[in-house]
Amino acid sequence: MSAAGTLAAGRARKPGRARRERRELTLIAATIATILLVSVSRHGFMGEQNLRFMILDSVVLSLLGLGQTLVIATKGIDLSVAPMLGLTALGTGLLAQGSGLPLWEAAAMSVVIGLVLGTINGLLVAKLAIPPIITTLGTYSLYSGLMFVISNGTQVDAVPHAYAVLGNGVLARFLPVPIPVLVLAAVLALTWFMLGHTRFGRAVLAVGNNSTAAYNAGIAVTATQIAVYALSGLLAAIAGLMFLCYTGSATVTTGTGDHMELQSIAVALIGGTAIAGGRASMLGTVLGSLFLSVVLTALVFVHVPPIWYSAGEGLMILVTVAAGRRAQAAARS
Amino acid sequence: MDDTRPPAPVTQGPAATGASGSRLPLGGWERALLAVLALLLAGLIGVVPGFYPGFGGFLALSENFLPFGLVALGLSTVILTGGIDLSVGAVAGLSAIVAAELWSGLHLSIWLASLIGLAAGGMFGWINGLIITRLNVEPLIATLATSFIYASAGTAIAGASPPSGFPDSFNALGTGAIGGVLPYQVPLFAVLAILFGLLIGRSKFGRRIVMIGYNVDAARYAGVRVPRMLCAAYTISGVMAAAAGIVLAAYYSAVRPDMGDVLLLTTITMVVLGGVSIFGGEGSIAGVVIAVLVLGFLRQGMLIWGFSDMVTTMLTGAILLGAIAIKNMLGGRGAGLALLLARLGRKRVRQEAPARAR
Repeated sequence: MSAAGTLAAGRARKPGRARRERRELTLIAATIATILLVSVSRHGFMGEQNLRFMILDSVVLSLLGLGQTLVIATKGIDLSVAPMLGLTALGTGLLAQGSGLPLWEAAAMSVVIGLVLGTINGLLVAKLAIPPIITTLGTYSLYSGLMFVISNGTQVDAVPHAYAVLGNGVLARFLPVPIPVLVLAAVLALTWFMLGHTRFGRAVLAVGNNSTAAYNAGIAVTATQIAVYALSGLLAAIAGLMFLCYTGSATVTTGTGDHMELQSIAVALIGGTAIAGGRASMLGTVLGSLFLSVVLTALVFVHVPPIWYSAGEGLMILVTVAAGRRAQAAARS
Repeated sequence: MDDTRPPAPVTQGPAATGASGSRLPLGGWERALLAVLALLLAGLIGVVPGFYPGFGGFLALSENFLPFGLVALGLSTVILTGGIDLSVGAVAGLSAIVAAELWSGLHLSIWLASLIGLAAGGMFGWINGLIITRLNVEPLIATLATSFIYASAGTAIAGASPPSGFPDSFNALGTGAIGGVLPYQVPLFAVLAILFGLLIGRSKFGRRIVMIGYNVDAARYAGVRVPRMLCAAYTISGVMAAAAGIVLAAYYSAVRPDMGDVLLLTTITMVVLGGVSIFGGEGSIAGVVIAVLVLGFLRQGMLIWGFSDMVTTMLTGAILLGAIAIKNMLGGRGAGLALLLARLGRKRVRQEAPARAR
């Protein structure tokens, strides 16, 4: 049983691995090239302040993208990550602002919110067989409506000190690693290990590659699907808490207003994850998010008007995906 | 979806028996939706005070949601091919801005400018089609990317103060009514709905569109020029999005680059609720039209009743999930529902209904 599962996953991953590593190296090279190119001509781009900003700015999107990557790896899609992020940020933020909710309780609450909302998605997809794009479109409306209900017209503009430390502090004075980066690194390490080195990860890729074959090979397809949506919800909730701590604010349009669901899909695709499922890269998603952040900041430095930023995002998606397609076709012939 | 089925698509869809001249009535899903619409309207008229302030006022409610219907018609064509167009909102905004800028900048007649706006929408859709077919990029990714690009372009062209204050004759397209009773939007939508119904259900073009969605390999082997058909589908979607944008411009007598943002999620809901499979290859325009009316009137009714915009949005999401869950439980495309209805009502069970179960 597990032999067949490995076979199914292995076949998808073997040719994928070379391509994937190339994509990750390409992204690192492109990020460094962009930084060098801009820092030569524009002063201050390499400054510590700006580097810090670029990295921190990509953390929230990276967390969201990691969950999205897991879902896309099973051939699904999760549009509801944005309202799940917003609901967590707003819910914990309102309690923190109003009654001084301790940070650890906020963290526990985020975990519960994320797992519950994500599991609802998973149950709808796996048990009721509603296509993922429809399911998460529906829950997008539900969860974003819930944000309006709990906000009751108020918003968060200040958080207690402990929250701000989590969002903006560094590990130690002699080791100035921002705490959000540590959180991201831990999540990345866990999800990377989970996808590449555990039975669950193989099940995820096998389901994405061919769910019928995976089912016949004895993989618990339903449970795997529920689990990835629950994880996506959990990561979206962690992203929401980090957003709250980092920015110190949350409104009814947090997450949904910036179309973070589309951005999270974008960084997963830029990172080399296949929308058709069965091939995913956790590191690629984080690198994709970092690259996006660097390019968008570079656009600020070369005085491109902000209205063109999202066009730049769109172009990057097209270029990376179309280039990947070319390389794939070349490798096949 | 890429299994090698025998040439089954021929038995698929309402127009399958078109050659013999017999015409299938609305399928189970469409009939159920129609019943829901009737119950809904009766319920709203009975319960919600002010929902039926006379025939003219009742029809005027439709001005609020028929632009969504226009987008839904074009989007149905794309979804029937098994694709998706996430750029409809951005195309609607950008096309309306192009038209408005031509009117205010070059002093073109507003109607000529609108025509150019429609053509521009078609071009944006055609670009989507080219990216999908030439660069081999999945529709979801391609239209996600172009929606970012079109939205930026719209914001850039609109500038700080986008044009507003169009001539009254143009604004009538959005809010005016023939003889003070029949809003101009109603005949516009009705004519286009019938056109799309004929195009998808009764024409060679529609057969090919549905066939591509049902089994793209079979379509290719059958000699359908798939890339050309896909480009046509996305172009149609672009034109309809532009039409919605222009009607919205007339409705508000102003344009804004983010004007179309609200269109996307609601119109996908309408199309899917109408019985079009998100995987393509099955569905009818009649179902989509009824779904547009159901969702539209429900939303207006709830707003008049005093529910907030967000509660109605939540309900829309819940309805979408509930409807698809019911559809799944009853078997594909309402075949089971047709049997159920037939058993409850008259005993006319169509032979086609069970055959169309997936």
